[in-house]
Amino acid sequence: MASTGQPPSLKRRDSSVTREEDKLVVTPLGAGNEVGRSCVYMSYKGKTVLFDCGIHPAYSGMAALPYFDEIDPSTIDVLLITHFHLDHAASLPYFLEKTTFRGRVFMTYATKAIYKLLLTDYVKVSKVSVEDMLFDEQDINRSMDKIEVIDFHQTVEVNGIRFWCYTAGHVLGAAMFMVDIAGVRVLYTGDYSREEDRHLRAAETPQFSPDVCIIESTYGVQHHQPRHIREKRFTDVIHSTIAQGGRVLIPAFALGRAQELLLILDEYWSNHPELQNIPIYYASPLAKRCLSVYETYTLSMNDRIRNAKSNPFIFKYISPLKSIENFKDVGPSVVMASPSGLQSGLSRQLFDMWCSDKKNACVIPGYVVEGTLAKTIINEPKEVTLMNGLTAALNMQVHYISFSAHADSAQTSAFLEELGPPNIILVHGEANEMGRLKQKLVTQFADRSTKILTPRNCQSVEMYFNSQKMAKAIGKLAEKTPEVGEVVSGLLVKKGFSYQIMAPDDLHVFSQLSTANITQRITIPYHTAFSVIKQRLKQIYESVESSADEESGVPTVRVHDQVTVKHESDSHISLHWTSDPISDMVSDSIVALVLNINREVPKVVVESEDIKTEEENEKKTEKVIHALLVSLFGDVKFGENGKLVISVDGNVAQLDKQSGDVESENEGLKERVRTAFRRIQSAMKPIPLSAS
Amino acid sequence: MGTSVQITPLCGVYNENPLSYLVSIDGFNFLIDCGWNDHFDPSLLQPISRVASTIDAVLLSHPDTLHLGALPYAMKQFALSAPVFSTEPVYRLGLLTMYDQYLSRKQVSEFDLFTLDDIDSAFQNVTRLTYSQNHHLSGKGEGIVISPHVAGHLLGGTVWKITKDGEDVIYAVDFNHRKEKHLNGINQSSFVRPAVLITDAYNALNNQPYRRQKDKEFTDTIKKTLRADGKVLLPVDTAGRVLELIQILESCWVEENLNYPIFFLTYVASSTIDYVKSFLEWMSDSIAKSFEKTRDNAFLLKHVTLLVNKSELDNAPEGPKVVLASMASLEAGFSHDIFVEWATDAKNLVLFTERGQFGTLARMLQADPPPKAVKVTMSKRVPLVGEELIAYEEEQNRIKKEEALKASIIKEEESKASHGADDNTSDPMVIDASSTHPLPDGPHGVGYRDILIDGFVPSSTSVAPMFPFYENTSEWDDFGEVINPDDYVIKDEDMDQAAMHVGGDLDGKLDEGSASLMLDTKPSKVVSNELTVQVKSSLLYMDFEGRSDARSIKSILSHMAPLKLVLVHGTAEATEHLKQHCLKHVCPHVYAPQIEETIDVTSDLCAYKVQLSEKLMSNVLFKKLGDYEIAWVDAEVGKTENDSLSLQPISTAPPPHKSVLVGDLKMANFKQFLADNGVQVEFSGGALRCGEYVTLRKVGDASHKGGGSGTQQIVIEGPLCEEYYKIREYLYSQFYLL
Repeated sequence: MASTGQPPSLKRRDSSVTREEDKLVVTPLGAGNEVGRSCVYMSYKGKTVLFDCGIHPAYSGMAALPYFDEIDPSTIDVLLITHFHLDHAASLPYFLEKTTFRGRVFMTYATKAIYKLLLTDYVKVSKVSVEDMLFDEQDINRSMDKIEVIDFHQTVEVNGIRFWCYTAGHVLGAAMFMVDIAGVRVLYTGDYSREEDRHLRAAETPQFSPDVCIIESTYGVQHHQPRHIREKRFTDVIHSTIAQGGRVLIPAFALGRAQELLLILDEYWSNHPELQNIPIYYASPLAKRCLSVYETYTLSMNDRIRNAKSNPFIFKYISPLKSIENFKDVGPSVVMASPSGLQSGLSRQLFDMWCSDKKNACVIPGYVVEGTLAKTIINEPKEVTLMNGLTAALNMQVHYISFSAHADSAQTSAFLEELGPPNIILVHGEANEMGRLKQKLVTQFADRSTKILTPRNCQSVEMYFNSQKMAKAIGKLAEKTPEVGEVVSGLLVKKGFSYQIMAPDDLHVFSQLSTANITQRITIPYHTAFSVIKQRLKQIYESVESSADEESGVPTVRVHDQVTVKHESDSHISLHWTSDPISDMVSDSIVALVLNINREVPKVVVESEDIKTEEENEKKTEKVIHALLVSLFGDVKFGENGKLVISVDGNVAQLDKQSGDVESENEGLKERVRTAFRRIQSAMKPIPLSAS
Repeated sequence: MGTSVQITPLCGVYNENPLSYLVSIDGFNFLIDCGWNDHFDPSLLQPISRVASTIDAVLLSHPDTLHLGALPYAMKQFALSAPVFSTEPVYRLGLLTMYDQYLSRKQVSEFDLFTLDDIDSAFQNVTRLTYSQNHHLSGKGEGIVISPHVAGHLLGGTVWKITKDGEDVIYAVDFNHRKEKHLNGINQSSFVRPAVLITDAYNALNNQPYRRQKDKEFTDTIKKTLRADGKVLLPVDTAGRVLELIQILESCWVEENLNYPIFFLTYVASSTIDYVKSFLEWMSDSIAKSFEKTRDNAFLLKHVTLLVNKSELDNAPEGPKVVLASMASLEAGFSHDIFVEWATDAKNLVLFTERGQFGTLARMLQADPPPKAVKVTMSKRVPLVGEELIAYEEEQNRIKKEEALKASIIKEEESKASHGADDNTSDPMVIDASSTHPLPDGPHGVGYRDILIDGFVPSSTSVAPMFPFYENTSEWDDFGEVINPDDYVIKDEDMDQAAMHVGGDLDGKLDEGSASLMLDTKPSKVVSNELTVQVKSSLLYMDFEGRSDARSIKSILSHMAPLKLVLVHGTAEATEHLKQHCLKHVCPHVYAPQIEETIDVTSDLCAYKVQLSEKLMSNVLFKKLGDYEIAWVDAEVGKTENDSLSLQPISTAPPPHKSVLVGDLKMANFKQFLADNGVQVEFSGGALRCGEYVTLRKVGDASHKGGGSGTQQIVIEGPLCEEYYKIREYLYSQFYLL
């Protein structure tokens, strides 16, 4: 970890540099080169998405959390949970209730329903001190209100982030999320399986290829045996153990894969009447409670279940077991108990009771996390340490038959081959396995420019996507397609990441925005002759037309076709105009003028000649321009034929004051000088009349 | 130019006939809905038959007969073979609705427009989508994206959004904006400013009271009848609105702890509820939420008994009860029979929850005042006896021989055929045979068994060219075969048992009782007799159709603010009324085409695409306004490497432009804003009086979105004073100046 250097802080959010805007950052906060506490941070174009929010089953308390300190939770827009397993969802109540996170959370219907049950159970059984508790039941209940649901394939858009999910196979309700930000797609698989089993469908292949694929690598380069062989091994081991009068312990996680195993066992028992007097216990209070969830969300299961006549989850030969006190250990039996890692709880109690008898067997039916007892006994050590601290001989048979519905090497290769993403990020895999898988994929994709990355926790991966912004010109503005060199002026309207250019009149047609005209009418007391105003206005403004009001016939003066001055009565006049900055200014000057007239005693005014010559004017302008440029750029000299030479940090630009042309080696400076000059000019020069 | 859009109504304009419209988008033909009514009059489908072969895709919006009833017939008779799209519930419940229709018809007539197999095959190639799923069409429809959205009204009900090149065509009929017990209402914000909106005028003249009030009135009426020892009949649809009624009744019964039995009687009642139980994702948020909390499925009914045949109802104890029976039109089905039985008792109540289809018995009874007596036809399927039976059997024998001959020919031809092929040919052949030789009497299924057994011996390689119910593995004990005395009792149940497998064969989950009907093995015929029923029971109509009422439709339409609006489905009067209203308040382009009149609603929009260069964008300062960010740009057109247009920063001084004020001023909000800033403010005579002297007015049409100039005209008036400038400043702060 230390060798990778200081990861850049993710809290910084600047988007001033354009290059920065095109940068997509992916940072695993957990599950980077490890299995457990899945949590992957992703940010692009100022939008941030967090995938999954799990805990590490081998640790407890704060140590089990992903590295949330690396990020600022308040900047996260969307949090997507792929499935209900603890290593993917269990830090959610903490994240929602104890951090500054204010974004939106999504998961599928089935995940949400099971999430609550599972975490409530988790809180009850985890034997940690109150201080170490990450959250309590209250937090879980509160988090339920904040979690929103998403159906498979349903597209949701939040702040310009579009996302939808596909069936992932792994467990009921498991999803793979596809996120689309400004046309760049990222697929996060979560845990997935491409093999249809007894109740779940295989993971779908997304319709579109993603630009980045964040994919699990749990099984590295291992290959699963075909399903029917695994099932046969499983049932054979159980059958033979029972036949010898032994007991079978299956440590399994209460939900998800356990249902698959129970389906297998129940079917095997019904096909083998001789076994039917051997009890199968399923020691989970959750199972019964989750039954209705399994009954209801059949739409995400496979056709076998959906078309079944009776509910296959109502088992005939399997009885529930509440606790070890209710268990009568008299002769052969099969017990499925949680937790799967044999850390504590019922599965451990049974293990301690049975481990020294060689007639007994323990079948480990899925992936086991590093650091748990289950992982240790797979290597069949001679002795094990019991919960009470004593050591005992490990004589029982240990079998490892995986049903854990993670993709194996062949599935991963085939899946990636179909998708063909240019960037692959491996997560959720133990470092060695991941390394091997990376090697294999590098070989597989050698002929393509595919990048394969295996970031560690908190190590950011940066990718650049050159997004071309396309705009659609519509409406009146687009009546004819312009030729090269023509000027297009209009409103640029951005919604999410799509742009439209339109004429102001069309704004209400193509968006929910509307435009307004503000007509102003102001009355000013005025007692002098109306012609005086006219006279004075003519001195200031070039276009002053007098006419009479159509209705009342009172004399009016129209200045610049924008402001109308009306002589309403002997005692007051009124000004009419439609708001815009220029008209407001004109009207203000008229108001000032009128007030001035009011104050002054009427007098005969001699029309003074315009004293200043053009030349003088010019000179003055030049001086001002120079002064302003100096203030902006510092070193400004007069060069040849009326050009100004501006030098900044060794870069030189020549500015032609007449045409505004700038010559410079340095594009940036050229652009800046040009803009500056244009602005100065518009400040100096009189306002053009053709404003409308 | 924009996307070309043509719309041709095929059925259901200027009247309440079923819905069926042809929408063609850049040459890709969508048939949206394919409805039929309870009369099953093939002449209604003439227009569909003329265009069926050109259709590229079918979209279904609701799972009832009016929206999808003609699908099996059209698929069978008109060579309609396009892929069908619908939501999962529309597919499932639509299938069940069609089964129920067929079975109800079959019971009282020689119904031969389509068979159960036709229904199955019609629904076979339905692609199921979820709400808000963007489905990209391929091939001819490349570039078109279709997505279903929540419509309310019925479970799975869909508003279709068809998008091409950023232009939306929206088909929204029979939607409901109100949240109901089991359904969400439409989400208006998903459909803003579509290029074309197709909607119905069905409810344009109809206003409703509030839901809560309505629900209460509904249950009160029912309770009153029950307490007076009466029975209540609710003629309902198969799997649509009935779900809402069940929810209302169920929750009322739970709340008040009532004991009166409720029966839900259709041929597919139990499978309907079975499926509905797994459709929670499609229902209202509150149903999903309560399931998450308590894991109690709302359709795990405690008070409602599901029945699939009428004898079960007859066996139920006498006394007050509520029966929800299909069909809503009273034309056939259980509701018809029950009505005839119950109508003569003044204590009973027949409560209609939807307007009957035109020309049906239900419609007649809903007239005001209701008729004193109605003529009905009671039809019954009875077994053949005596001479008829003999004649029938002779006919059967003749057919059998023909079949045998045919079969042997086919067998010779394919004697060397493989396993699978044999299996495939023999099966359809039997079915073909029955449909090509319509039997004079009785249902077509009669001859199957005999043909199979006597007609020809299946080749040894064939797996089982027969229905699975023959595979009775018999158990043996010391005394021989184990027998079940019940097997020898001649009872109706016998049939049910046998047919159960057949039902399973058809769809896996069809009700047993109903399956018995389809393949009734006894020769039978339909006997009809007309009788006049004295209608003494009370008749009542309460609107539980779950459609938005006139007022809401109007406000929804002006909110959606389509560029072009097409009105369909609704009486001529309602259509005309809504058309006039929309012309005035919604948009200037309102169309109400006649049947088979093709209208072109291609948007007259012009559009082209340009690339925005980085250089240009780095100088643009956006201003944020709600979901939008806007800026004024002046740019020069250039070309990119790949020859598309791009916008570059302008090299000369930008031409001056008239400034634009962007924003939407709501007088009420502005008043509040001023008040918050310490300005005395009040409304008087439509104008806002601010402070002592200044008045602010909005002139012109209030509904600025509906056509018009689209620009709000605001007038601010006052004498020259400090206050004037202050208020103007506040006013400006409500807008963005560009």
